Amino acid sequence: MSDLLIFAIAFAVLAALSLIRLAKGPSSADRMVAGDAADTLICVALVLFSLFSGRGIYLDIALVAALFGVIDTLLVGRYLEKERGQDK
Amino acid sequence: MQKTKFPAVVATFVVCFAFWVLLTWSFTMQELIAGAVISLAVALFSARFFIHEKAFWFLNPLKFFSGLFYWICIFPVELVKANVNMAKICFGGCKKINPGIVKVPVDLKSDYGQAALANSITLTPGTITMETAEEDGQTYFYIHWIDVTAPSGKEAGDAIKGTLEKGLRRVWE
Amino acid sequence: MTALRIVIDVLIGIGAIFALAGTIGILKMPDAFSRMQASTCIPTLGTICPLLGALLYAIFFKNGDVASAVKIGVICLLILVTNPLGSHALAKGAYKAGIRPEKKMETDDLGRDLYE
Repeated sequence: MSDLLIFAIAFAVLAALSLIRLAKGPSSADRMVAGDAADTLICVALVLFSLFSGRGIYLDIALVAALFGVIDTLLVGRYLEKERGQDK
Repeated sequence: MQKTKFPAVVATFVVCFAFWVLLTWSFTMQELIAGAVISLAVALFSARFFIHEKAFWFLNPLKFFSGLFYWICIFPVELVKANVNMAKICFGGCKKINPGIVKVPVDLKSDYGQAALANSITLTPGTITMETAEEDGQTYFYIHWIDVTAPSGKEAGDAIKGTLEKGLRRVWE
Repeated sequence: MTALRIVIDVLIGIGAIFALAGTIGILKMPDAFSRMQASTCIPTLGTICPLLGALLYAIFFKNGDVASAVKIGVICLLILVTNPLGSHALAKGAYKAGIRPEKKMETDDLGRDLYE
C-alpha cells in the first residue's frame, strides 16, 4: 500500500529537481521546457497519490493539469515566434 | 473560412458529449440533457475549425484496423527503442550528441496523415519536427535530430521515419 | 494477487527510471533544443508506464472502480496527444527568436533556408 506513496514522493522530487533549471535557465525556452516537464511529473504524482489516499478529487485535478498544461507552452512558443532576435 | 458541414458537427458533438459524461460521471436525465445542449452549441460553433477533411474515415474497417495496428504495434516499438537510446545518452553524461536540423521529404498527401506523422516524430525522443514547407508539390519536414548520422534528404528520412511512414500510408492514402 | 502487485510496482519503477533520465537530461544537456529532446522521455515512457500500473491498480485493488480507471486512461491519452503540440510550437518559436546552441550545429538546413 505505501509503495504508491513512495513512488508519488519520488515523482514529486523529480519535479522539484527540474525546477532548478526553471530558476537557472539562460533563455526563456529553457525555463518553459522545465515547466512543462514539472507539470507532467506532478500530474503522474497526483494520480498515484489519489490511488494511495482513495480520494477521487486528486484525479480531477490531474485531469485538468494534463488538459491545460499544454496551453502555457503554446502561448510562450507563439510569443517567441513573433519576437525575433530580442531574446538571447 | 470554410462552411460548417453536417458530419463535422456530428463528430465534434460526440467528442464533446463523451468528455462531458467523463467529467461529471453521473447518469441522471437532467445532467445528460444539459450536456447534450451545451455540446450541440459548442459543435455548431466550432466544428469548422476542427475538421477539414472527411470526418468518418475510420468507419472503413480496413483503415480502422490498420490505424489500430499502427498505434498499438508499430509506434510503441519505435517509442521504446528511442526512449532506451535517450536514457543511455542521459545516464552516460550527455556527452555523445551531435545535434543538427535536417530537411527530409515526406510522401503523405493527406492533412491528417501529415499531422499524425509530425506528431509521431515529435513524440519520439531524439527528434522534433520544427517546420513544414512545400516546394514543387513535394512536402518537406525540417527535423531537429539529436544525433545526426546521415546527410539531409532520403537517407535521413529513412533513418528517422521509415517504419512510421510505411505504417501511416496504409491508413491515410 | 501478490504477483500482480509486483507487476504494478515494476511498471511504476520503470516509469520512474525514465523520468529520472529525462530530468538528468534537462539539468545537464548543453543547449535548449537538446533539453527539449531529453525532456520528451518524461511524457512518453515516464508517463505511460506509471499510468498503466495505476490503471491495473484501480481495476484490481479498488473493487472495480470504473470512474477512476476511465479517468486515468483519459489522462494518459491527453498527455500523449497534447504534448507534441507544445514542444513543436516551443522549438519553432525558440529557433525563430534567435536562440542558438553555443557550439554551432553542423547541419542546419532551416537556418540556411530561412536566412539566405
